[in-house]
Amino acid sequence: MNLNFFPILDQLPYLLGGAWISLQLAVLAFAFGMVIAMICTSILRYGPKLAGKFINAYVVFATNTPQLVQIYFLFFALPEVGILLSPFTAVLIGATFNAGAYLCEIQRAGFDSVRRMEIEAAEVLGFSRVQIIRYVILPHVIKVMFRPLSNQFIVMTLGTSMASMFGVEELTGRTYNLSSQTYLSVESFSVAAVIYIVITIVATFALAIMGRFLFRARTGVF
Amino acid sequence: MSKISMLGKLVIAGCIASSLLGAATANARSLDEIMKSKTLIVGVNPNLPPLGVYDDKNQISGFDATVAKKIADSMGVKLELVAVGSNDRVPFIMSDKIDAVMGGMTRNDDRMKVVDFTDPVNTEVLGILTTDKKPYKKWQDLNDPSVKLVQVRGTTPIKYIQDNIPKAQLLILDNYPDAVRAIAQGRADALIDVLDFMLDYTKKYPTKWHVVDDPIEVDYDCIAVSKGNTALREKLNTEIAALHKSGFIGSSWKKWFGHAMLHDPTASPTKY
Repeated sequence: MNLNFFPILDQLPYLLGGAWISLQLAVLAFAFGMVIAMICTSILRYGPKLAGKFINAYVVFATNTPQLVQIYFLFFALPEVGILLSPFTAVLIGATFNAGAYLCEIQRAGFDSVRRMEIEAAEVLGFSRVQIIRYVILPHVIKVMFRPLSNQFIVMTLGTSMASMFGVEELTGRTYNLSSQTYLSVESFSVAAVIYIVITIVATFALAIMGRFLFRARTGVF
Repeated sequence: MSKISMLGKLVIAGCIASSLLGAATANARSLDEIMKSKTLIVGVNPNLPPLGVYDDKNQISGFDATVAKKIADSMGVKLELVAVGSNDRVPFIMSDKIDAVMGGMTRNDDRMKVVDFTDPVNTEVLGILTTDKKPYKKWQDLNDPSVKLVQVRGTTPIKYIQDNIPKAQLLILDNYPDAVRAIAQGRADALIDVLDFMLDYTKKYPTKWHVVDDPIEVDYDCIAVSKGNTALREKLNTEIAALHKSGFIGSSWKKWFGHAMLHDPTASPTKY
């Protein structure tokens, strides 16, 4: 097989533009997903039981149906009731909906890992609920959660590739475009694969540095 | 292991994976090998009714499948149909996963650099599908920043739009049902493609559809084979010529499309 990478490398800025969109999607969905997860985890721990049941139902639904199907509903089913979301918004909401559930599970596991006796000890010492969360629960939970959260971010970054199906011209979509214009499919996807690898390696290191210096959490990279 | 060496190793691993992907070569089956195996493997796009469609038993059917079956029967081999999409039909041939591909394979210069085409099987008249709410009278009306076109990734009209209708917004989706649905839901204003294939999808929506009375161009659909697979191409050419002569292709088109082909495929302006 004769490989010719030059036409693809000429289009590197076009592909990197797509990678930037992929990264934006992943970062925004992760950030919004974390907010949803924090709200859900707080309600599960401190909220009314009925609300907790709704959150459990959400987690079960979101983690047991493919993200692709969830976005499909947002993109093609909502217009039937008059809600027309732009491709980027539909994909972002779908990815956030999915991420919120997975991140909720990670946070729930993190909170569950705090031993009851530590909280009781803090209560005996007269800590308020906020102080218990600030000084006892969070330092412990962040260390436990950091690694799975980092992994989830990488999974989400790679998962943005499905956005191309809904007209978002991210890295995979642009790779398909380039592949169908040049017919250099192997070359196009090889370059895209290397870009994805670089993105995930950089993200892994960035998260590891963040975890190490902000939360003293070890992720395995250092 | 030092930090740098781990990063280096990861990058090297990526490069090796990419090279292995690139090095995975295959060889197109020659006509002799196909005859010996008694099976002809043909790619058809089942999302292009009635050119390609899934029947009640979830088997690939349609005009392409009918012609491919007739060719295989005439060659004395069994037909194996493989579902391909607009995106991947050329890569399927280039990686020699199939012997030949149909599925709306318009013959054009770019594709001819990477695959070989037989003589035309059918023609495609490229037109504009929109709704009765839109005022478009000719394709030039679409060259406006307010116009949202929807197209299917990997199809010929995309290049046409980029060259001739550059001002219009372009939404690229993965398949025809989604593209037609996008117009019905108001996400896009129009679609440029072979309308014979699109009209089946429009029936699913209460939208009042409108076809602009100004065909853009006539394309020739052929069977594509691997570059240099001359014996197979020549054999297919013989079969196609016979099917045109006997009227089989014309009658199959009528059966699947409900009307005669709009342009004569044997009047191909250029013989390749």
